[in-house]
Amino acid sequence: MRFIRIRSLGLFLLVCAIAALLPSCHSRKWQGDQKLIILGIDGMDPQLLKKFMVEGKMPNFSALAQKGSFRLLTTSLPPQSPVAWSNLITGMNAGGHGIFDFIHRDPKTLQPYFSASRVEPPKHGIHLGSWVIPIGGGTAEQLRQGKAFWETLDDYGVPNTILLMPSNFPPVKAKGYTLSGMGTPDLRGSYGTFSFYTDDPMTAAGVVEGGQIIPVQVEDSQVTAKLIGPDNTFRRGSPPTLEPFTVSIDPLQPAARFSVQDQKFVLREGEWSDWIHIEFQLIPFIGNVKGICRFYLKQAHPRFELYVSPINIDPADPALPLSTPKRYSRDLAEEVGEFYTQGISEDTKALSAGVFDDKEYLEQAKTVLAEHRQIFDAEFPKFHSGVFFFYFSSLDLNSHMFWRLIDPQHPEYDAALAAQYGSALPEFYQQIDQVLGEVLQRMDSRTTLLVLSDHGFAPYNRSFNLNTWLLNNGYITLKSEPSSDQNEAFATVDWSRTRAYGLGLNGLYLNLKGRERQGIVEPGAASDSLLKEIKEKLLVLRDPQNNQSAITRVDRASEVYQGPYAQQGPDLLVGYNRGYRAGWQTILGNFPADVFENNTNPWSGDHCMDYTLVPGVLLSNRAIDAASPALTDIAPTIFAQFGIPQPGGMMGHSVFSSNR
Amino acid sequence: MPSNTPLLLVLAISIVIGFLMVIVFRYTSDQKAIGRAKDRLKAHLLAVRLFQDQLPVVMRAYGRILHGTGSYLRLAFTPLLIAILPITFLIVQLDRYFGWLPLQPAQAFLVEARVEDPAALNEASLQLPPELSSSAPAVHVPKDKEVVWRVVAERAGHYDIQIAASGQTVSKQVVVTPGLARVSPVRLKDHFWERLFTSGEPALADNSPVQSIAINYPPREISFAWMEWNWIVLFFVASLVAGFIFKSVLGIQV
Repeated sequence: MRFIRIRSLGLFLLVCAIAALLPSCHSRKWQGDQKLIILGIDGMDPQLLKKFMVEGKMPNFSALAQKGSFRLLTTSLPPQSPVAWSNLITGMNAGGHGIFDFIHRDPKTLQPYFSASRVEPPKHGIHLGSWVIPIGGGTAEQLRQGKAFWETLDDYGVPNTILLMPSNFPPVKAKGYTLSGMGTPDLRGSYGTFSFYTDDPMTAAGVVEGGQIIPVQVEDSQVTAKLIGPDNTFRRGSPPTLEPFTVSIDPLQPAARFSVQDQKFVLREGEWSDWIHIEFQLIPFIGNVKGICRFYLKQAHPRFELYVSPINIDPADPALPLSTPKRYSRDLAEEVGEFYTQGISEDTKALSAGVFDDKEYLEQAKTVLAEHRQIFDAEFPKFHSGVFFFYFSSLDLNSHMFWRLIDPQHPEYDAALAAQYGSALPEFYQQIDQVLGEVLQRMDSRTTLLVLSDHGFAPYNRSFNLNTWLLNNGYITLKSEPSSDQNEAFATVDWSRTRAYGLGLNGLYLNLKGRERQGIVEPGAASDSLLKEIKEKLLVLRDPQNNQSAITRVDRASEVYQGPYAQQGPDLLVGYNRGYRAGWQTILGNFPADVFENNTNPWSGDHCMDYTLVPGVLLSNRAIDAASPALTDIAPTIFAQFGIPQPGGMMGHSVFSSNR
Repeated sequence: MPSNTPLLLVLAISIVIGFLMVIVFRYTSDQKAIGRAKDRLKAHLLAVRLFQDQLPVVMRAYGRILHGTGSYLRLAFTPLLIAILPITFLIVQLDRYFGWLPLQPAQAFLVEARVEDPAALNEASLQLPPELSSSAPAVHVPKDKEVVWRVVAERAGHYDIQIAASGQTVSKQVVVTPGLARVSPVRLKDHFWERLFTSGEPALADNSPVQSIAINYPPREISFAWMEWNWIVLFFVASLVAGFIFKSVLGIQV
């Protein structure tokens, strides 16, 4: 009997012990009430910010700087947004997260690809006539490595909302609400491909950077054309899906009726449509993929000109994951209406291609910011504890496009245009100030605020064509004259006699034996010596037009990167002087005739240069102890706020810690 | 109006109709004969399972199953026919409420008028009450004999818009409301069957120069069980489920 009692007591204790242990098997539940708000403002430049503060245009930033702290924030190396935001997300540099540039290359094929994510169709399929039955599904893969700070917050039960974060497509698994930002493709899998339909015979048809010019005919005041959707992997050869639409133009008035699937709408000349839902048919009656786009009737008479935005993934019914939980993007769309989901929403390419003029681009860019503000206004009031992060893209993209209107030294400066649109960039800054004003109103003693940018900005006056320079200096050998096909990287390069090549905005790679498919440079002493030689030559390089240094800094990857991916990036990071940047063609492996060129593109400001020349900003309502905080300090700062031990591999320290 | 009101109404109507269908079926069908037909079917199915190794028996059983199914359908046909007519009428009427979303204040919509004579196209004009206004020039589409106006309502209400062409004026109802309302997406001349199923307004006069006037009300979709439903599909599914439940509870042979 006694034995039974002892056994029962033993069992009881065992059950109690298991019960006591159970909570620790689940994720921990954070009990605090602190709040950390982070406004991530891409491209906010410290010099411009100070100037606008002095001019009284940024009262909320002035108040925050006065009551709290304002520091320069050391950006990433190289100072490109996907790299910079990945530094912030992981607390590591590119060696730790594996994002080195907007563009990476496969060393085996030397073909460039977008660095942040990859969307791929199913690899295998059974062919039945013109149809293909895929075996397995396609994939959307995020290429950033390293653990995102909100994943660690989830581990410790700290609630978090992370909205429009760059380099987070498809979004990593998370318990909080997340919405992917820059790096999210359009429905065609590109960073954004607009369509421009015109009957103007003077407009060259075909592919332009970031878009497609499609010739149409106006017959009986009617235009019939097709929207170009994603590639149909169910068809042999994966042709693009096409959906017809009709435009009936009034014979006299500058207006037209559009019929797209079962939707009809009327636009006046110079008017935008709302978001239009499109279903692209992959398999009749069975497989459809949904997208959204906006129409802009640029001209009805005498020439027909119609712009259609890139087909965005429909947030209400996403074909690829956009958010966590998956339903969140749909709930958001129901609450605030449809919105741009492609990561780079401002259609800078349409302005560069001459499809938009400044007024049209500005209107589109304002819409993007208005949508972001609507999402912010809907979500910010719901935040009560933990971490709230919100990203704004507007200052970055609009500094790129409107720098020429605020800088009389820029080769594309136009006084008349500057008088008309020179206020656009300051007004975008002011809108961000208004957002900060909304946040400041809701601050309390439990709230820490960080307002930061990933980098600053500088003029982009002159292009440096790194590949042409390498060619002229004997590091690249061509088999024939440079190819006129700009879509084919390194098409004419003789790899058996090429020692180095440039790819991406700041990257220079050796044609290294054992790494590149036809590598010829021996690793070790030979490669070290070659890197040293190229670095020295680049640093003494002068622009013949003005005798200025074009390159102020060249970093060896092996000296600046730490982490498991440090070997996968470029061998040298080329840091351009203010006013300089890699030319548009060289970054994709092409060879323009001249080493230096004037930048005549409306894309007139940039930051892909010497990272010490384009720091970002960091403002807080608390005293920042760090004298030179960096992006890699942000994740450690977040963890310190919630008493979470800093995970191994992180480089930085809390910006509020004096013990750095 | 709460956003789930149409869902609740459709579900409630489906349950009531499911119940009524079962009751109608009960009193318009030969319950005993249906019971016998079902029993026979069950017996033949059992024969197929029991005598799998005797092909002639199995083939005979299959033949009888086919015949028994025909008998069962014949027995069910009359009650279904009796039920289907009022249900069709009901669906047509309910579609006026659930098929389309009424317009909202500040929401642009199109008024499309199709005329008999293309020559009348250019003189066709739209007269609006003060609460509505045109927000774009009229678009004339000679190929389709249509003229299209884009209109915006300032505030909610039931309005009559007038279209003048060839010396005559015809009107069309426009419903702007955040609530559930009866809407008619088109007013037609002739086209009896089309009018029966889609229009909720009297026919245009035979001598009217206007063939049709359409308003592009957005189609309504009802969110239910993580899916978007056309209300008719939801109605069929919900009334079938309700019918099966009531049939079991009331012990009715269906």
